[in-house]
Amino acid sequence: MAITRLGPNQDITAAKIAGQINFKNLIINGDMSIAQRGTSTSGITGTGVFVVDRWNIDEVADSTLTMSQENLSSGNAYNNGFKKSLKVLVTTADTSLGSTQSVQLMQKIEGQYLQYLNFGTSNAKNLTLSFWYKSNVTGIHTVCIDKSDSTRATCPLEFTVSSADTWTKYTLNANANAVVQGSTATIDNDNGTGFRVMWGLAYGSNYLSGTSGTWEQNGTGSFSTSNQQNIVGAVNNYVELTGVQLEADTSASDFEFLPYDVNLRRCQRYYTRIARTGGDYAYGWGWLYGTTGGNFAIPVSTPMRIQTPSVSVIGTSFAIYSNGTKQNGSTMGTIAWESNTYVIGLNTGSLSHSLDKHTASLNNASGTPSGMEFDAEL
Amino acid sequence: MINTVEKIYQDTPSGDIQIIYKVTYSDNKSWFCNEDKGNRHYQEILEWVENGGVIVDNGA
Repeated sequence: MAITRLGPNQDITAAKIAGQINFKNLIINGDMSIAQRGTSTSGITGTGVFVVDRWNIDEVADSTLTMSQENLSSGNAYNNGFKKSLKVLVTTADTSLGSTQSVQLMQKIEGQYLQYLNFGTSNAKNLTLSFWYKSNVTGIHTVCIDKSDSTRATCPLEFTVSSADTWTKYTLNANANAVVQGSTATIDNDNGTGFRVMWGLAYGSNYLSGTSGTWEQNGTGSFSTSNQQNIVGAVNNYVELTGVQLEADTSASDFEFLPYDVNLRRCQRYYTRIARTGGDYAYGWGWLYGTTGGNFAIPVSTPMRIQTPSVSVIGTSFAIYSNGTKQNGSTMGTIAWESNTYVIGLNTGSLSHSLDKHTASLNNASGTPSGMEFDAEL
Repeated sequence: MINTVEKIYQDTPSGDIQIIYKVTYSDNKSWFCNEDKGNRHYQEILEWVENGGVIVDNGA
């Protein structure tokens, strides 16, 4: 590589550094490469189901779905650097949607990440959403940017699948208008949901009043448009998505590939797990108190979004060792440490001991597998 | 989809009682969560109760 000596007053500006990473993408894990929970879940009904990190499906209809992380080995998305995708497959159809029913594949974005968009001011920025998409269902599909803080504003975006089962890149614009420049369009500067970016697999009639590419303040009525298709209307219908990028601009730039470790750590702000198969290995340390309690600190790779994430015990129990004794526990809550601490505090109850003020370790119980999951998703 | 929610009273090192909720979903997976409105599981519990769900409360 040639190196050019800079002359006087020739600063190294961002524009002079090719291929730089600047975190322009508001979407996390847009290349679908991280799937900490596993690679497939079937029988999905209901809301808040995750497979690929940061991407959840809300199924509020009468369909049943399978969501999976797919390995790509050919096609236009693969040829552009994407090795993984997210697939939603219909396994039970809902052919007759009720007016309030919906099925949405979405990512939620924290409000504090969106402040530079200047929503609620005359300097509100234009947005461009780009992604690779494949479906067996041809015709118009939709995705919606939903700003739910303050007064809800939504911008549905239509795109057309012309060729079935063919990876195609779409670039869609959500340009600022008077709605998002108005003072009621501000986004709270906090760790709550600022945007939801939602691909609509199905919407009942209550959600179809939107105009493609136009921000509106119409409650939930403009999540989609009158051209919305019912993709969950037939078994084996599917959509597949990767390479998602949302950026503040009027055109799409190349997808910003992050190193695997950086991408993983960004996902672990919302979900992380400590697990292994077999053996009694310690993953946290603390002390026992009273006759039933234990208090432990679990180190994590990055501070989680909230101070008290939910905890789930993988397997049936965890083990606690202290003073040469072992017992299993199954109940715990999180203890809030200060924000931005690289530790999760756990408080375990339902133990039975006479080891007040003894040091202890928190271990995975023998079994396959065991450990803990922590969830701070939006 | 939520199947059951249990309210649990847990001692803490400071002597206070900590309230946690054990929420079990239709796939039998359980999560423990605190009374934190920023926590999505607690938000789901609140919504579930609003829609008629009843929390199992066996007391302290």
